[in-house]
Amino acid sequence: MTVIDLITRVDAICKKYEKYDVDKQKELNVIGDDAFARLFAGFESETDALLQKSEAASMEKNRATVVAIMAEIRRTKARLLEEIPKLQRLAMKKVKGLSKEELEARSDLVSALKEKIESIPDGSATGPAQATGWAASASRTGIKIDTNSDGRFSSEYFQRTEESDKFRQEYEMRKLKQASFLLFNLYLYVIFVQDEGLDVIAEGLDTLKSMAHDLNEELDRQVPLMDEIDEKVDKASSDLKSTNVRLKETVNKLRSSRNFCIDIILLCIILGIAAYLYK
Amino acid sequence: MASSDPEKLMSKADKLTKLTLTRWSADWRSAAGLYEQAANAFRLAKEYEKAKLAFEKASKAQEMLSSPWDAAKHMESAGAVAKELGNWNEVADFYRRASNLYIECGRSQPASDALAKGARALEETVPDEAVQLYTEACSILEEDGKEQMAFDLYRAAATIYIKLEKYPDAATILLRLGLAADNCKAVNSQCKAYLGAIIVYLYAQDFKQAEKCYNDCSQIDAFLRSDQNRFASKLLSAYTEGDIEEIKRLVQSSTVSNLDHMIIRLARKLPTGDLSALKAYSGKEQEEPLDEDDLT
Repeated sequence: MTVIDLITRVDAICKKYEKYDVDKQKELNVIGDDAFARLFAGFESETDALLQKSEAASMEKNRATVVAIMAEIRRTKARLLEEIPKLQRLAMKKVKGLSKEELEARSDLVSALKEKIESIPDGSATGPAQATGWAASASRTGIKIDTNSDGRFSSEYFQRTEESDKFRQEYEMRKLKQASFLLFNLYLYVIFVQDEGLDVIAEGLDTLKSMAHDLNEELDRQVPLMDEIDEKVDKASSDLKSTNVRLKETVNKLRSSRNFCIDIILLCIILGIAAYLYK
Repeated sequence: MASSDPEKLMSKADKLTKLTLTRWSADWRSAAGLYEQAANAFRLAKEYEKAKLAFEKASKAQEMLSSPWDAAKHMESAGAVAKELGNWNEVADFYRRASNLYIECGRSQPASDALAKGARALEETVPDEAVQLYTEACSILEEDGKEQMAFDLYRAAATIYIKLEKYPDAATILLRLGLAADNCKAVNSQCKAYLGAIIVYLYAQDFKQAEKCYNDCSQIDAFLRSDQNRFASKLLSAYTEGDIEEIKRLVQSSTVSNLDHMIIRLARKLPTGDLSALKAYSGKEQEEPLDEDDLT
């Protein structure tokens, strides 16, 4: 039996026999007209209920019910936390018959209540040290060993996640195997197709190589022939040039005006003689 | 002169060349011209005998005029006409004379060309003579250092030998081709020639010769490094193992397809004799150790 359990049981018992608590009743009656007091009382009762619920949830084994209870707790918490500011405002208000110390005490009560609400575990373990100091004396809920309950939660979680981890691992391995099998098949196919293609390419290359070699040899054969042609053409062109020059000289000599005139005169004389002879 | 009756031209030309009392020196120049015309006219008229005669005379006239080039040309024409006639000896004769005249000019290439033409003309009918002409042509070229041109001639000669089924001669010619190729650094042709020789030996079922040939050729660096060498070694090893399928597969490869047509045909028919000769050869090898055992 842990501390929490003790405290809880004590609380539960107290609550049950509250109506026999004369002092408290008197208090309640006294503050019946006080709006703040009323509201504060309401808040307190709701907070206690929440607390009980959260402890019940921590006992629960069934995950679904745990989840449901947690959700409810969270909802209620949010609602209460929203209404806390109202309470605070009320706390500030001056009420007749109340002393100054009691006023201060009220605001303290409000802040304490707020902290109490926030500290109710709702499954969203927001971390350590939610057990803060209480200045209030009215509340009697004990130390919440949040980490413990949270630890219990997370160990349960871990159990669950261990199993699911194993499942997940197996699933992934199977997927991997399938994928690798597919990949292997793909590789084989590609390799075979490539093989044939490469064969074709190799034959083509062979033909190309032999043709290139033959071309090479043919060109080598042509080179001296081209050189010979070059020489011969050069010689022929130089011959032509010299012949041209000589021809030009000869023609010029023929066309020199003096010879030409002499030729014409001689021709005329001969024509004259012929005409004379034939006339 | 106009294209008159070629007979008349011939007679005129003859008269010009005959030495009589009135004529103290033959007029070869005009005679040559006349002879040529007459010969052409005869050829057109398809009177080949007369055309041949005319060409001969024209050539002689040109010779007298000391222009061996024209003389040779006429001789070639005479040879072509003689081929039409079918006087095979005359064909060979004419072409040889033409080639000699070309050599006189100092032009070896046309000389060998003339001989090659003659050989081609005689291929069908007198192949031996043709081969002779081819070899002469090749030697002319080799003397002049123009081996490159000789390749075709060698190949043609080898083809003729293969047709005649004189396989050792064919292989010899191919080896000569390889030698010529070596001289002008035509490595590809050289390797092809050697491979061709090996295939010819194998076709002739002369396995020993083939191996000897292969060993000889392997001494040559260029051949050693070539594709043809690899192919030859594969082929010979397939032969020694007697693996017909392998041989058939090898000869389908592209290395063979780059060779000469005749050689490709031989190669495709290759596993000849069905390796019984091989078996005899390998049997002989086995016998020798036995003999040694007997002696000891």
